[in-house]
Amino acid sequence: MKTAFFHLMPYPDLPDDFPETHRSVWVEIDPGLYDPKVGHRAYNDYIDELEYAASVGFDAVGVNEHHSNGYGLMPSPNIIAASLSRACPDTTIIVLGDSVALYNPPLRVAEELAMLDAITGGRMVAGFPVGSPMDVIYAYGQNPATVRERYHEGVELITRAWTSDEVFSFNGKYNKLRYVNVWPRPVQDPHPPIWIPGGGSVDTWDWCAENDLVYCYLSYFGYRAGLKTMQGFWNRVKELGKEPNPFQGGFAQFIACAETEAEAWELYREPAEYFFNTCLHVYAGYADPPGYKTPNTVRAGVEGMVERAAREATARAEAKAAKPEKKGPLSAGPNQLSFEDMVEKGYVILGDPTQVTEQVNELCLNLNVGHLMVLAHFGNMSKDLVKYNTKLIGQKVLPELRGLFEDEWEDRWWPKPMAAEQRQLRDLSPSSLEAGI
Amino acid sequence: MAADVIDRLPVGDDRIVVQRAGAGTPVGYLHGMIGTPPGAPILAAADEAGLAVTAPCLPGFSGSSPTQQRRHIHDWLFHLSSIVDATDLAGRPVVACSIGAMVAVELAAIRPEAFSQLILVAPLGLWDDDDPVTDPYATTLSVQRRLLTKDPTVTAPFFDDPPGMDGDELVEYGVARYETRTAAASLVWPLPDHGLSDRIHRVETPVTLIWGTDDQLAPLSYLDRWAAALPNVVAAHTVADAGHLVDWDRPATVTRLVADAVDEPGSRP
Repeated sequence: MKTAFFHLMPYPDLPDDFPETHRSVWVEIDPGLYDPKVGHRAYNDYIDELEYAASVGFDAVGVNEHHSNGYGLMPSPNIIAASLSRACPDTTIIVLGDSVALYNPPLRVAEELAMLDAITGGRMVAGFPVGSPMDVIYAYGQNPATVRERYHEGVELITRAWTSDEVFSFNGKYNKLRYVNVWPRPVQDPHPPIWIPGGGSVDTWDWCAENDLVYCYLSYFGYRAGLKTMQGFWNRVKELGKEPNPFQGGFAQFIACAETEAEAWELYREPAEYFFNTCLHVYAGYADPPGYKTPNTVRAGVEGMVERAAREATARAEAKAAKPEKKGPLSAGPNQLSFEDMVEKGYVILGDPTQVTEQVNELCLNLNVGHLMVLAHFGNMSKDLVKYNTKLIGQKVLPELRGLFEDEWEDRWWPKPMAAEQRQLRDLSPSSLEAGI
Repeated sequence: MAADVIDRLPVGDDRIVVQRAGAGTPVGYLHGMIGTPPGAPILAAADEAGLAVTAPCLPGFSGSSPTQQRRHIHDWLFHLSSIVDATDLAGRPVVACSIGAMVAVELAAIRPEAFSQLILVAPLGLWDDDDPVTDPYATTLSVQRRLLTKDPTVTAPFFDDPPGMDGDELVEYGVARYETRTAAASLVWPLPDHGLSDRIHRVETPVTLIWGTDDQLAPLSYLDRWAAALPNVVAAHTVADAGHLVDWDRPATVTRLVADAVDEPGSRP
């Protein structure tokens, strides 16, 4: 069992009435709401929190990519990963991931991840999402009808660039390169493990199952709602005659842990409501551009995670417009998702360390996932609270989960770094600096 | 009135749906953003106007097989060029709407003999930063429906499920509708300007322009832009109480204007 501390890096200071006064946190969010001083503080706090997680027992730290939004301030996950690469010398770094179709050419992704793999001595996981519709279709203008084809071609180019022993030409439909020759090369042989974050596309299940890639369901809606999606993936694995190795699966889960359950209810209400009611306040018109879904997904009637979040947020906004409430947004009136709902439905796992351990164990067994992305920061949570939550999870929950699945299954999708004694560590000692002159 | 006929013609690697309706002067019809589903009102209005309409559907639209070749506008105009030849529309007058008009004008710019006459209904393809064309896909399906026509009920043959259909048939109907929307979106993404303004001066074909006064997608102000950019505009008409898909809101008005245009002396092939 491997666990990562995964950070979404939301903008933490959107106004209380944002869901009532703004249509969407993504794509069209008012640039006037961004305060550079808040951004400065947030980035530094968030990087501190990732580094802290690495120090209290998490196997990995994880970052991702989003654009034009207040949900997640990471247009470039590789920049954050670069910061972590030196500050967290023994921790796996999961970039989950780089939206391959947005890079022209995608060799940029191959180069940057190879650089990170070189700096870390082979501690990288390379995640390749198609990207949310808001990010890739609206914010970056990719054509929804061709974005998946462009994405798959990009992943092919990157993996060939990492593994080819020769300079080669790539004559793709979208990428035409006379000379492909990526320097540096990844440390890991043949390359960093590839994980695919999915949001509910049935074709992504097939692709991961057929190509031996990790399928990660980064759900907003918790382990109960995620069961159907993960079962869809495992069904495809079995249909292909492959083994349902839990380490080929990943799942993201919000966790709110405190010394007592009562304290958890008190501490995490506001940040959870900020996340679900403000950070996920996405206009439904940005969630389902025609062509983004594959015909198979349309045929299967599968609603993507983003689509669902946006549909529910827009429905709440429309209900509120039709019948205004007297209460403010953080009081979670009838038109808001309440904290009680979030916990009851499993969006948030809440409790003392024992209760959290039981639920996480249930999650991993039911969903058959050996890679858990823990969201211990959410919404506008204070740095102190993040550290409290992270420490309890890292030191009281994760030890109880260690070893899960490992007797029966091999994790073939975890980085294989250079031996610790071979890895160059950060060295700012006067003697080393003078020697370098 | 001639009965509607639906063919599926092989064109290259694609199977193209072609509908035919009406009797009289042969005219081609190129659909707009929602294709030409059975029940499209332009087909029913053809006969009374004395028009024999041939209406091919571009790849992905209304049951034509989806194409994998849609990287850019040039893929589309080669599709259209092949379709025009396969349906004997080459050298004939064609009424083309919205995105269909955009592709038709592109083809006319490089293949002057493709059409004897173009009747363009709210064409897309020009862009003004100060007066942008509305994005029909940054919205929900129900709002998109209201954007396209003045009366949203007229597009029921596209947006509504056929009564009595269920099970797998209904699922596949929904998939086909999604394919039509995908093909349309791919033509206007991220915005409907593929550089036509650099080529439009080459269009020698006589053009009649038609625009709905209540077009919420491409503002009526674009009528003047098109009239100024095209070298050979012979007439321009506005249609009251019509949105972007004028041919859906006011099909009889459009077919009458088309009949008038093709009846002009010297306009027939």
